[in-house]
Amino acid sequence: MFDDPAFWRAGAISTVAVMVGVLIMLTVDSLAVISPGGAHVPPYTVINQHIDYKFDTKRGNDVPVIAGSEPLFGRAVDESAAEALIDKGKLVIQSRACINCHTFFGNGAYYGPDLTKAWIDPDWDTWQAITGTSTREDAMVSFLIDPERYRTWTRTMPNLRLTREEAEATVAYLKWMAAIDTNGFPPNFGRMGPKR
Amino acid sequence: MTALNLMVTALSLGLYVALAGSYGLSYAIARLRGGGNLPRGPLIIYGLHGATAIFIVVWTPLQIGWKGLIVASSIAFLVLPPITWRFLEYTHETEVSG
Amino acid sequence: MYRSQQLALKYLTAAIALFGVMIIAGLLSACYYVHPDLLFGILHFNIAKILHIDTMIIWLLMGFMGAIYWFLPGEFGRELAGIKAAEILFYVFCVAVAVVAVVFIFVQYGGSDEAALWLINQGRKYVEAPRWAAISVVVVMAVFAYNVLGTAYAARKITGVTAVLMVDLIPLLALYLIAFPAISNMSVDLFWWWWLVHLWVEATWEVLIGCIMALTLMQLLGTSRRIVETWLYIEVALVLGTGILGLGHHYFWIGTPSYWLAIGGFFSALEPLPLLGMVVHAIYDAGTHRMKTTNQPAFYWMLAEAFGNFLGAGVWGFMITLPQINLYAHGTQWTVSHGHFAFWGAYACGVLSVVYLVLQKTRGLTHVDGALWKWSFAALNLGIVGMVGGLLVSGVAQAFVERAIGGSTHAAFIAGQENQWFVEGMVTRLVFGFVFAAGYVVLVWDMVTLGKRLPVPAKLQAAE
Repeated sequence: MFDDPAFWRAGAISTVAVMVGVLIMLTVDSLAVISPGGAHVPPYTVINQHIDYKFDTKRGNDVPVIAGSEPLFGRAVDESAAEALIDKGKLVIQSRACINCHTFFGNGAYYGPDLTKAWIDPDWDTWQAITGTSTREDAMVSFLIDPERYRTWTRTMPNLRLTREEAEATVAYLKWMAAIDTNGFPPNFGRMGPKR
Repeated sequence: MTALNLMVTALSLGLYVALAGSYGLSYAIARLRGGGNLPRGPLIIYGLHGATAIFIVVWTPLQIGWKGLIVASSIAFLVLPPITWRFLEYTHETEVSG
Repeated sequence: MYRSQQLALKYLTAAIALFGVMIIAGLLSACYYVHPDLLFGILHFNIAKILHIDTMIIWLLMGFMGAIYWFLPGEFGRELAGIKAAEILFYVFCVAVAVVAVVFIFVQYGGSDEAALWLINQGRKYVEAPRWAAISVVVVMAVFAYNVLGTAYAARKITGVTAVLMVDLIPLLALYLIAFPAISNMSVDLFWWWWLVHLWVEATWEVLIGCIMALTLMQLLGTSRRIVETWLYIEVALVLGTGILGLGHHYFWIGTPSYWLAIGGFFSALEPLPLLGMVVHAIYDAGTHRMKTTNQPAFYWMLAEAFGNFLGAGVWGFMITLPQINLYAHGTQWTVSHGHFAFWGAYACGVLSVVYLVLQKTRGLTHVDGALWKWSFAALNLGIVGMVGGLLVSGVAQAFVERAIGGSTHAAFIAGQENQWFVEGMVTRLVFGFVFAAGYVVLVWDMVTLGKRLPVPAKLQAAE
């Protein structure tokens, strides 16, 4: 039996069939969770709200906390306008190949910083002063439109010729992304020193 | 996980698999050289692999399920080279005689 | 020689040439870490990196296709069906690759609209090529699939190896269609993108290289068909049995449910087991042939495949695959260290083995050996180990400083990048990158001159 290739062929076919079947079932379940409004991914209108990131002792990791009103650029948007902003933001990210310098959920390239929680990065408070703006989103837009003007480190982000509309859409995208439950990635965000 | 735990755990896991591979390699070489009993080389290397597994179980902050997986994998790593070797000999022998 | 085998030579030549382009782009990418102002305003890191990773995928794919085009007439006992279309499409493929590269370098990006995705850059990792080029890849691969399936049908013949190959080609081609959509939701985008990337390089490509190695073993060592088929089925069962749900190790942090931490971590942790089996198998083959074959470089590159796969994919992967570790290591140079080592061991070494086997036949050599291949073998492997080692040091430093200690913020990122261990690791990577490049030059020299170099006595005779 063991020296007959047909035995092992049957084994290969049945193994693959079972694994693919399980993968398909888990995919169906996962897609529901990661669609906007699903358990882990908020609807796009979350960009109208305040987003924070706190440690959840029951789950043992950081989770996004969404509460309170905090419209982007001072104007709340409805569902279709929010979706339009997110669509545009993703087109910007793809057309400029941002993922080939930066990471999103840790995926991409490692030359620039991870952007998963860029929206809630503590550095933006300082950037408001540097860019002469009064809100986080305006600081981010100013930076994105002319990053070479704000060189603070040896590695400079190049100017990718973003229009104001594109920069705003990108910021909206980053705000929405920061509200996604990533099972605690990145770890220790904003907290210096060991967690436990 | 503390920074130190992170480094030590990750490097231990790499060492764990590297030693499993070294055991497999030395086992295969020992079988090639022939002789009845297995020489000490592969056994010593597997012993080091086992020690690494024990270290991972005792020292690292991995949860119990993952530690169980490490132990089970160590058993799999132990038997995989002999089973593979025996099956290689079997398939080649039946080929010659068949 | 069958027309299919002549086409194989073209594909393998293109593959080796693109390997060189990949190295140049890789050296450039590595330079930015050490000289950040390099070509600023002219060509930035992201474009250099796109060229590096995309040429990697394409040169390996061309290598696989070349190998299949070479072996298959022997398997079916006849010329491949649709060979004329395949011959034309080879040139279409090369032109498309060249045009895409030129546009990447000189145009770089367009506006945030569909036109940019169709014509310039789709901006999704490994599949940045604009949609028009992606369509041409689909056509090339569809004809390739037809070459295989159509010939099996015409010959009314299927072997175990060709059966596995044919079944594998269907998901391989279907998965590539994921290169087309622009999905706004990053979680959904990455979910499907990982079906393409993981189920290519940790599933369908593994089966494909398994088929190619089976065909190579039959020719190189004279191993019987029954034996290679038995082991091919075992490999498919183990690699896909662990790798299909091992896809879950990419689903830890992209917004997917937390059960993927357990599922992905568990199956991913099992992935080294079949790789260990391959190492044992390689030693068996090496030992029973007393390390001597009629084609030493082909043999040694195949051994390098088994070892490199185990080390790069197995050991390096295992270090970072458990979710508790991956939380800190994900998206750092630790990943890069693993990626370079794994791709090298799992695929590049195998393709180089095939090239030497093919050259033995086309140059009419009874024996392939010499000094040159040994130098290139040493330099390429030393180069990759040095690069991987440097990246490992940088990656561990980054995980330590940026993630574990620094709190993963922008400031923590900078602290990690400026850490002395990180910086020295990246310099080491660049230095060994040059060692690797030197190995490539010697490799090409050996491949070009193999069989055309006069042995010394003949040279002396000619001089007299």
